[in-house]
Amino acid sequence: MPKFTVDGRPVEAAEGRTILQALDDAGLLMNGVSVPHYCWHPKLSIDGSCRLCQVEVEGIPKLQIACNTVVREGMVVRTETERVKQAREGVMELLLVNHPLDCPICDQAGECKLQDYAFEYGAVGSRSREPRRALKKNVDLGPTIVFDQERCILCRRCVRFCDEIPGTRELAVVNRGDHSVIETFPGVPLENDYSMNVADICPVGALTTRDFRFKIRVWFLADVPGVCTGCAKGCNVHLGVANNKVYRYVPRRNDAVNDTWICDTGRMSYARVGGVGRLRQCFVRGELGVPEAVDFDQALRVAAERLARLRDAKGAGVIAGIASPHATNEDLFVLKRFLRALGTENSGMAVVRGDSDAILVEAEKAPNAAGARALGFPAATGVIDRIAGGGIDGLVVLGHDLIHEQFLGGVDALARLDTVIVLDPHASALEHVAHVAFPTRLAAEKYGTLTNAAGRVQRVEPAVEPRWDARSEGEVLFALGAALGLEGFDGRYDARDISSALASQVPAFAGCSWDEVGGGGAPLTENPA
Amino acid sequence: MLKVPYVTGYLTEHFADDEFATLEGYERKGGYRAAREAITGMSPADVIELVKTAGLQGRGGAGFSAGLKWSFMPTDTDKPKYLVCNADESEPGSFKDRILLERGAHQLLEGILIAAWATGAEKTFVYIRGEYAQPARVLQRCIDEAYAKGYLGANVMKTGFRHDVVVTRGAGAYICGEETGLLESLEGKKGQPRKKPPFPAEYGAFGMPTTVNNVETFSHVPHIVAKGADWFRGFGTEKSPGTTIFGVSGHVERPGLYELPLGTRLDEIIFEYAGGVPNGRKLKGVIPGGMSMPILPAGQIDVPMANESLRERKTMLGTGGIMVMDETTCMVRTACVITYFFRDESCGQCTQCREGTGWLNKIVNRIERGAGLPEDLEILVDIAGKMEGQTICAFADAAAWPVQGLMRHFRSDFEAHVQHKKCPFPESFEL
Repeated sequence: MPKFTVDGRPVEAAEGRTILQALDDAGLLMNGVSVPHYCWHPKLSIDGSCRLCQVEVEGIPKLQIACNTVVREGMVVRTETERVKQAREGVMELLLVNHPLDCPICDQAGECKLQDYAFEYGAVGSRSREPRRALKKNVDLGPTIVFDQERCILCRRCVRFCDEIPGTRELAVVNRGDHSVIETFPGVPLENDYSMNVADICPVGALTTRDFRFKIRVWFLADVPGVCTGCAKGCNVHLGVANNKVYRYVPRRNDAVNDTWICDTGRMSYARVGGVGRLRQCFVRGELGVPEAVDFDQALRVAAERLARLRDAKGAGVIAGIASPHATNEDLFVLKRFLRALGTENSGMAVVRGDSDAILVEAEKAPNAAGARALGFPAATGVIDRIAGGGIDGLVVLGHDLIHEQFLGGVDALARLDTVIVLDPHASALEHVAHVAFPTRLAAEKYGTLTNAAGRVQRVEPAVEPRWDARSEGEVLFALGAALGLEGFDGRYDARDISSALASQVPAFAGCSWDEVGGGGAPLTENPA
Repeated sequence: MLKVPYVTGYLTEHFADDEFATLEGYERKGGYRAAREAITGMSPADVIELVKTAGLQGRGGAGFSAGLKWSFMPTDTDKPKYLVCNADESEPGSFKDRILLERGAHQLLEGILIAAWATGAEKTFVYIRGEYAQPARVLQRCIDEAYAKGYLGANVMKTGFRHDVVVTRGAGAYICGEETGLLESLEGKKGQPRKKPPFPAEYGAFGMPTTVNNVETFSHVPHIVAKGADWFRGFGTEKSPGTTIFGVSGHVERPGLYELPLGTRLDEIIFEYAGGVPNGRKLKGVIPGGMSMPILPAGQIDVPMANESLRERKTMLGTGGIMVMDETTCMVRTACVITYFFRDESCGQCTQCREGTGWLNKIVNRIERGAGLPEDLEILVDIAGKMEGQTICAFADAAAWPVQGLMRHFRSDFEAHVQHKKCPFPESFEL
C-alpha cells in the first residue's frame, strides 16, 4: 500500500493503482483534489489521450498524466502549480478551437464537462480566428443515440465502453488527426441493451439519447437518488425530476451494484412512473358486480368489513396474503405483521422471471423479491395450490405478478373467492375479481428500502407525488389493520419508523434501516437467496 | 542508372556491386561471418556489451543507445521475444533506409540475426512502408535465400538457435514509424502510438517483449561485431561514433546520399560534397535532420552533424535528412508545407496534437495569404510550446519544433507577410 502526497495531503493507494485511480478510490477525485480529466473513466481502460490530467510529479521533469502514472511510495504530486495550470489552459484552448460553442441549443449544457472545465480551468479569452471544423450535426448512430460530430472531443470513452462493457464493439474512430470522427461500421448500428450509457459518459453534448433529447433543460431537473425497479439488480439511479414528472433515469455510481451503468430497458422504465396503466382510484364491487369508485375511507371500511365477516365465519386460516416483489421491505413487513395479527400463516410471493445477462440484468423482473424472501415469504406455489384446492376464501394481494402466465395465468382461479382485496400501483385483470382495490405507490413515490438479488438493501425516497390518492401498501395495510382493530396498528404511519422497526425486529435486516443504509445501501446480515 | 551514394563508407562500400544484394555476393565480401562469430563465440550479454561499448546510437531519429535498448529486454521471461525492424522510412527528407534495403538487405539481415542472438528474440518483423515496393521485394528475396541456406529458421547456421524474419508492409501513415504506432499497425490495428509505460521491451508486438530498431541501426551491427568497438569509435565523434548516411535534398548541385562520419560539418556536406547551391544563389536555411527538426539559418551551418553539437543550436540530427533552401525560399510557405504534413499525419489521439497541428496550419496559411495579424506570430510560438512534450508520442514535438525553428530564425519572413499583406517571395516554390 504505497503512500504518497497530493498537494501535501497524504493519500494511501492500493498496489499498482495510478494517481487518478488512487484519488478516486479514496473518494478525493474532484472532491477535495481537482484533477480534471476527459478520457479517463473509473470503469473503463486507461486511454491517456486527452492530456488534461497532467500533474507535476517530483523528480520527473515533464508533466505526467495522472491517469496512467502508477503511484509509488513517497511520490510527491502537485496539481495546482503554474505549469499544471498552463497545461490545462492549453488543452482547454485546443479543445475549444474547433468546438461549435452551440451551448444554447445543446442538451448537455448545464452538465457539460467542456463548459465546466472551460469555466474552471480555461483561459478567459479566445484567440482563434480560424473557421471551425464543419461536420455533421445529427448522425443516427442507432435506435437510441444521436451523434453530433462537431461537439465531439474524441475522448473515445464511448468507443471503449462498447468494446469493454457490452463487448459489442459498434463504435470506432475513423480517419486521422483533426479529421477523426467516431463512426459505426456500415450496416452495423449502435444497438445493444447498454447503448444509452454512452450518452452518460460522453463528457460533452456529442452523444445524446433520442429519448431525452430536447425534452427539458437539465438545470430544471432535480436529481433524486433512487433505484431502478426493472429487475432484481437494483441499479442505482438519479431520477431527473421537474414539474412532478420523471424525465429520465441516469445511472448513479455504486461500485457494489451497477458501477456507473444501467441497461437501456431499465433506463427506459422511468416512463412507467406517472405513465399509463396506473390504478388511479379506490373502488369496491357494488351489488350488481360492477366496480364503483369510492374514496379511500369507504374502500377501507368495505375491505375491513369483508375480512372481518370472513374471519368470523370461517376463521383467519382461509385468508392468505400475497407479497409483491415490487413493494418495499417496509410494505412487506407491515403485510407480515398484518397477517400475523389477523391470525393467518398463509402467504406467498410471486415474481415474474425473464431474460438475464452477464452484465447487470437479473432474471427476476422486480426489485424486491429477495426482500420478500428475507422476510419469510415463501414462493406463492403453496397458496396457489390451496386456492385450487378450495382452502382459501380470502386474499389480500399486493401487486399482480400472481396472475402472470408463469403463475395463475389469469384471474379465473380467483373468481370464486369470497373476498379479494387488491393493493397495486398498476391496473390489471385482478380488478375484474377484486372486491376492493387500493391504488398504491411506486418506489419513486415513497420512502422505503428494496433488497436486490445480491441481498443489498437500498433506499428510495419520493421523487414525485401521485396526482391521485395513492398510498403505499404499508400505509393501506396499516390503516386496514387499524380498521380491523388489530393489535399494534395504531398511531401514525411513517415508512421510516417502520424501517427502523424492521431493522430492529428482523435479524436479517439488522443495520439495514432507511437511515442506516445511506445512499449506497448495505447488505443483509443473512441472505436467504 | 545505379542508385548508390555519392560517398560510400563501410555500410555502403559494395552497394555499386549488384551481387552484394545476393547471398553469394554478400558472403564473398565476408558476409555472415560476424553473425556466425556472435552466435557461436559470444554470449548474448557479450554482444550487448560490445554494442554498448561501441556507442552505437539508434539511427531512426531519437539517437538512443542501441546496446542499452537491447539490455532492456527481459532475460527471465517465458514469453517469446521479438525484434522489429523499423523500415517505415517516412520522415520527409530521409531516403537512406531505402538504399540499405535495396542494396544491402543481407547486411541488414545479418545485423538482425546478431541483435536477435543478443536479445534472445525468436522472430523479427520487418515493417516496411507500403510505398517501398521494390525494397520489400528485394528484402523478401534475400530472406528466402537466407532460409534456403539455413541462416534463418529453426536451426540458424546449425547452432540450434531459432530465428524467423517476416516482412510486413505498411499502408502509408507517417505515424507508423513511431515505434508503438508501428506495433499497433503490425498487429493489424489503426496505427496509433501506445501510451507508455508499458514500454515495448515489456509489452511490445502482440504483447510480447520487443525491441524496435531502425534499418540503419541494424546495418551497423555486423561491422561492429566483425571489427570491434574501437574500430567503430574510429569514426565520428566521442559521443556519436560511426558513420551515417546523410540524405541531401533541395537546392544543392548534387542531391543524394552521402555516407560520412557523424560529426562531419554541415557546411562541408552541403558545399564540399553536395556541390553547394546552384544558379549562383545564396543559401537561406537548412533543415539538418528530416522535416521534424528545427531549421538552421545559413549563418549557423558551421556545425558538426552530431546530436551533441546540433543541440547547442537547438536542433537535432534526426534521421540525417538534410534539406537545403536557397534565398528565394519563402519560409512561410515552408511552414505551410510542414504544418500541412503534420496536420495530415497526426493520428488524432492527443488533444494538443490533433487540434494544435490543424491550428498551426490554418494560421500559417492565413499569413501566407496575406491575412496575417501581428499577434499571430506570438500565437504560433505559444501553440507550439503547448504542444511540445505533453503528448503520448513525440509526434507533437516533431510538429512543434519546425515551427519554433522557423519563428526563431526567420521571424522577419512572417513579419513581412503580415506587414505587406502578401507573400514577398515571388520566386519561391509554389504551394
